[in-house]
Amino acid sequence: MVNQTYFWAATAVYAVVIFYLAWLGYKRTKCNADYMLAGRDIHPVILGLSYGATFISTSAIVGFGGYAAKLGMGIIWLVMLNILVGVLIAFIVFGKPTRRIGKKLGALTFPDLLGKVYKSNFMQYVTGLIIMVGMPLYSSAVLIGGGRFIEEVLSVPYLWAIIGLTAITAAYVVFGGLVAVMYTDALQGSLMIFGMSAIMIVTLSLVGGFDGFQSLTDMSHLVPAGLASTGMTGWTSFPELGSATWYTLVTTIIMGVGIGVLAQPQLAVRFMTAKDGKALNRAIPVGVIFILITTGVAYTMGALTNVYFYQQFGKISTEMTGNVDSIVPLFIDTAMPEWLVVMFVLVLLAAAMSTMSSLFHVMGTAAGHDIWVHLRKARFFPSKLRGSDEDASKLKVNKAATFIMIAASLGLAFIMPGDIIARATAMFMGLCAAAFLPAYTVAVFSKNPSRLGAIASLLTGSIVWAVWTVFVHKAESSVLKVSEILTGSPSVLEFPWTVVDSLFIALPLSIAALIIGTMIERRMAPRMTDA
Amino acid sequence: MFGIDDPWILLGYALCFISTAFGIVYGIMKWNEEVD
Repeated sequence: MVNQTYFWAATAVYAVVIFYLAWLGYKRTKCNADYMLAGRDIHPVILGLSYGATFISTSAIVGFGGYAAKLGMGIIWLVMLNILVGVLIAFIVFGKPTRRIGKKLGALTFPDLLGKVYKSNFMQYVTGLIIMVGMPLYSSAVLIGGGRFIEEVLSVPYLWAIIGLTAITAAYVVFGGLVAVMYTDALQGSLMIFGMSAIMIVTLSLVGGFDGFQSLTDMSHLVPAGLASTGMTGWTSFPELGSATWYTLVTTIIMGVGIGVLAQPQLAVRFMTAKDGKALNRAIPVGVIFILITTGVAYTMGALTNVYFYQQFGKISTEMTGNVDSIVPLFIDTAMPEWLVVMFVLVLLAAAMSTMSSLFHVMGTAAGHDIWVHLRKARFFPSKLRGSDEDASKLKVNKAATFIMIAASLGLAFIMPGDIIARATAMFMGLCAAAFLPAYTVAVFSKNPSRLGAIASLLTGSIVWAVWTVFVHKAESSVLKVSEILTGSPSVLEFPWTVVDSLFIALPLSIAALIIGTMIERRMAPRMTDA
Repeated sequence: MFGIDDPWILLGYALCFISTAFGIVYGIMKWNEEVD
């Protein structure tokens, strides 16, 4: 267990700095635009670190690190996609037009951007609604990851761990807005780079340096029978092509998360905080180094935990603990020197808080700015509740909505199953890609984007994703049990469909809906003009 | 190489480092380029 004295001393210093940065954010938040977009003037280094720290959470380190321990190093392709798609394509291809168009239209949130590009309140409402419904899944998974780790390492009861983590994060998000979120992200991101680098060095020294990879290769005969029968071949090799394990690793973990990152609202909104395109270019080196170190270390270390546990205890990682999400915490707690355990706890806290703060902020602004500020004018709302169009009133609404969404995430964390971190993350990213990616892509690249096409894509992507998740993709449908109750079977289709991620069905259909909707609108437009 | 025999795993690692190097070089080369 972690040395309590060291930990609380380090945490006290960490908390003081976090609250100082949060106070700075609070002081610099003068208006609603500051609260939503940090005044559109954020420093490139802060932008790069904030983007990375938001992107990489406890899910990536604990959840996917655990998957690397279970399924091996094939997950390194996710690191490659995180860098290539998540940073390079995101910043170079999507970031610049997103910032330019967002500024030109005065968009303050991701749903606001889509609503204004397509001149459609419906797009804004539905996008906001999907964020409000889907994002708590991810924020709760991050919260669970942080809570489980604190429980494991500090022996703090899980309930108090997640309440404490939520309360601290909520304090600076609600009052300091995006300025506080990004300042604290930058600190947390720096801590993550330093901590993960140290962990890689110590892990390699524990398993005999680079010889540890050979040791891991030599352990292939220890692959559990259950995984071997579904295609796993070892921890330093890819699963058999087309096997169930291959489908899970490639379609859900690698592609689902790797592609899904492009259309995540909490990341897309960061492009709109940059002062100009130059700031985005300057943020790229920080972003790629951050992702390489944090995720590269987490997945490599995850796989190498098998070598350490086998050498020390004669067991592979999944035999040490039945829960995939507990492998990395157990390894750190068992193998690392005291100062590094303290460091890793802080890294995990930083990773959890940086991602959660951004998710809380996006959910709150979706509920406040994208839905409530518009719907409040409806007749059935009492006039007392409506507020006004003044900036101060909108700011108050956004703070209140952020608080409510934080409470919802905390509530969900109580009822979600334990072994869910990586899967819930992949689910959320898959939903984002299926629902938002086609419409977002057209919004930033087309000079004449089709409203009908965008609406068709948004609805098709989200509905097909939900149906496939509930009725076909066994990993989720068997947990949700809706299919089993209604049809008597956890999946209404047979293998291999049961292991093909929802993204792979929903995204192509979402693209098709966009194309068909665009064609219909183009054909109808001249007739309407003629009439 | 490094005890890893599967070329797909080695390729994954190689592409991680190549992508990172590209990002660093790109950012430095475009440091002062006016965009928009």
